[in-house]
Amino acid sequence: MNDMEKNSALNRRDFLVSGLTGLAGLVVAFHLPVGAQKAFMAEAATPLAASAVPNAFIHIAPDNTITMMINKLEMGQGVNTSLAQLIAEELECDWKMIRSVSAPVAPVYNHTVFQTQMTGGSSALSSSWQQHRKIGAAMREMLKTAAANRWKVPLSEVTAKNGHVLHKTKGSLSYGELATEAGALKLPQDPPLKNAKDFKVIGHSMKRVDAAEKSNGKAIFGMDVRIPGMIYACVARPDMDGQKLDSFDEKAAKKIPGVIDVVKFRDNHIAVLAKNTFAAIEGKDALKAKWKDNQYSTASTESIYKELKEATHKKSVVAKTIGDADAGMKNASKQLEAVYEFPYLAHAPMESMNCTVNYDGEKAEIWSGHQMPTIDQGVAAGILGLKPEEVKVNTVYAGGSFGRRASKASDYVVIACHLAKEIKRPLKMVFSREDDMHGGYYRPMNVHRVELGFDDKKNLLAWRHYIAGHSVIAGSVFEAMMVKNGLESTVTEGVSDTHYNIKNFHCEQTRVYSPLTTLWWRSVGHTHTAYVMETMIDEVAVETKTDPMTLREQLLKDSPRHLQVLKILKGMTGWGKNKAPKGRAWGLAVHESFNTVVGQVVEVSIEENIPRVHKVWAAVHCGTVVNPEGAKTQVESSIAYGLGAFLYQKIDLKDGKIVQTNFDDYEVLKIENMPEVKVEFVKTDEPPTGLGEPGLPPIAPAVANALFRLDGKRVRSLPYLKGKTA
Amino acid sequence: MEINVNGKNMTVTSDGNTPLLWVLRDELGMVGTKYGCGKGLCGACTVHLDGEPTRSCSITVNDIQKGKVVTIEGMNTKVSQAVQSAWVNNHVPQCGYCQSGQVMSACSLLASTPKPSDKQICDAMSGNICRCGTYARIKTAIHEASTKIS
Repeated sequence: MNDMEKNSALNRRDFLVSGLTGLAGLVVAFHLPVGAQKAFMAEAATPLAASAVPNAFIHIAPDNTITMMINKLEMGQGVNTSLAQLIAEELECDWKMIRSVSAPVAPVYNHTVFQTQMTGGSSALSSSWQQHRKIGAAMREMLKTAAANRWKVPLSEVTAKNGHVLHKTKGSLSYGELATEAGALKLPQDPPLKNAKDFKVIGHSMKRVDAAEKSNGKAIFGMDVRIPGMIYACVARPDMDGQKLDSFDEKAAKKIPGVIDVVKFRDNHIAVLAKNTFAAIEGKDALKAKWKDNQYSTASTESIYKELKEATHKKSVVAKTIGDADAGMKNASKQLEAVYEFPYLAHAPMESMNCTVNYDGEKAEIWSGHQMPTIDQGVAAGILGLKPEEVKVNTVYAGGSFGRRASKASDYVVIACHLAKEIKRPLKMVFSREDDMHGGYYRPMNVHRVELGFDDKKNLLAWRHYIAGHSVIAGSVFEAMMVKNGLESTVTEGVSDTHYNIKNFHCEQTRVYSPLTTLWWRSVGHTHTAYVMETMIDEVAVETKTDPMTLREQLLKDSPRHLQVLKILKGMTGWGKNKAPKGRAWGLAVHESFNTVVGQVVEVSIEENIPRVHKVWAAVHCGTVVNPEGAKTQVESSIAYGLGAFLYQKIDLKDGKIVQTNFDDYEVLKIENMPEVKVEFVKTDEPPTGLGEPGLPPIAPAVANALFRLDGKRVRSLPYLKGKTA
Repeated sequence: MEINVNGKNMTVTSDGNTPLLWVLRDELGMVGTKYGCGKGLCGACTVHLDGEPTRSCSITVNDIQKGKVVTIEGMNTKVSQAVQSAWVNNHVPQCGYCQSGQVMSACSLLASTPKPSDKQICDAMSGNICRCGTYARIKTAIHEASTKIS
């Protein structure tokens, strides 16, 4: 059984004939026990058995349509399709009759490991693999029993197929006809699950259930929510938390046509309320709000890099030691040092952050692309002085997230709720693109300093690795759980747990306070650790005159999944036999993140000083591939996201202020720069592992390694292009 | 003031300097057209104005005058059907937020260039940003739609 969810066995049931969501017919809900891992959120501490749960995963309507309640946020990664596939496989229903909706907040929908309702860590499929299939299987068995009872035939004589229960003489009954009777039955404790060889839905590229409405404009995102009497709000906030308000021009804002009012709240926030979003944004800009200097008002990108670089020379916390790296360095006949710089990065999803609130002083309802709805609910309730259950949370489609909506402070929900408390009117609070780029949450800045030592035969003797970076989780509720003995795994992951067999290896970490708020950004620490590991391994290959593929095979000889991935890559590219065409070079990188191993070979040229990535061959070990085409889209997506960051992106600080504002100075990858991507998966029946993020870490180092083959230069400071290029 | 949207004359009361995007979304409730950047940098707000792909965030209602506006909600042609079905078929949308704009740009391209080359696709679609990186599939889907309309 999958490690992630070994305690997700079904042990209790709860039936409701009609649920909160207003669905008629049978609704089945399963209570899940608290997992092996302790609840890590205060909100999850309520004993599950004590909660009334008007909720369910499957709803079967009389017309045989099946609604899957999806307990993860659909933010592009395809959970509304892939999680439905897990249930559908066992339920034996007609895929065409399925629709998926986002679940409300209830403990029954908690993540099977984290015990709070949330999406993240590339864990949607791995944490639902057993749970969702069992839910489907249990429902199937109940429907079969209901039919057998009605027909008065033994259960062994009935079969379930395509949304119907069949009997050789009695005929067929649809699930819709049986749903109510099935709901009165006892929940089977250990329904049989199919063998992989019998899968008809899992492992097949079912079309995305949300594709049509996302192609015809009908899909509703947070930005599109409209409620009666709603006004629009745009909020002026400082770039850094806690900066005191200095001045703002209320009169100028009120002169903008459509502006209704200007409201100062939360000490340093000013909201402009308006009849439409445009007037709210214009009004907010007209405020020309200023905040007082704070202790970081002289901070700049340069000053932070200086601080971080100095920290890599100071005594810090040991993250990993193997052998004796100090002795190895001392004995080395050749030493090599490299220092890497990684900037702040904004997530910049296409839909800027927003939250709609309806609060009348007694109860509240909120709408957004909620990635951590339990926390958002608790935080909203706290602000509004309500009980969590008095805040109805509506999760709608998210226009991308890449980590941004897993806000450790529920920041935009907090702002909207404070404002709602102030004005007690239905409102939609919207960040303009510029607001989204400023005062947000960023991939932290990091500096790596690596020292390699080689013996006189040019063998790698020692590797010393010092990371100084901003914490991802400092000051959040996650800190207590995720920081152990001063070590933060989200900073060193990918280095301290490297699979490379290095005899003498030493890694230290220094956590430095960040003047800007920080957050996980697609693949978190691996965004920088994979880059350093994979480009340094390439330097070892050059130094030891070993083929980069061969070197990796040697250093990864005890890591079978990595070897399988490398083998596929060799097959895809003809590595060792074929070569890149003239003027182009290949680069290789392989990295494990979120229990998935991804290797990539890229084909790159340099045109007018700008790298052009023509092709990417990607090999992936992510266990069972639930939806092959969907899985490929995640790898393509990660490549595009990571390549854009490598080439163009940084958030700069100058005199304590954020420099970048919009897509002109924070460039993203465009269609003409999207490489051709080919993806192959290792064939295996192992449970699924993550895939929303693992495609990202190898792309930048693979490109950097190819660039070295072209111009002999190592790229140590990201992004590659420092200025505007468009 | 009156504007013509999806073949209907509609009376709007927003200030004349309000960009078309916000009149569509906030006053007329047609939220299929998206806000991404407000500066004509991302293409999420693309509509057709007299048949031409136009960034609705960067044109005011005053500027439209008698022009005919078509939004994603009003797309119902052989080309748009071919594009939308190719979008579904090729797993194009991920988060989907930019896709109204992508579809509007793709439909314009195919209306004027029924058999576009890769280069023509890139030129026509370059102004439409997608953070999920659906670009390769957009290209494939446009080629597929192209074969369906010929």
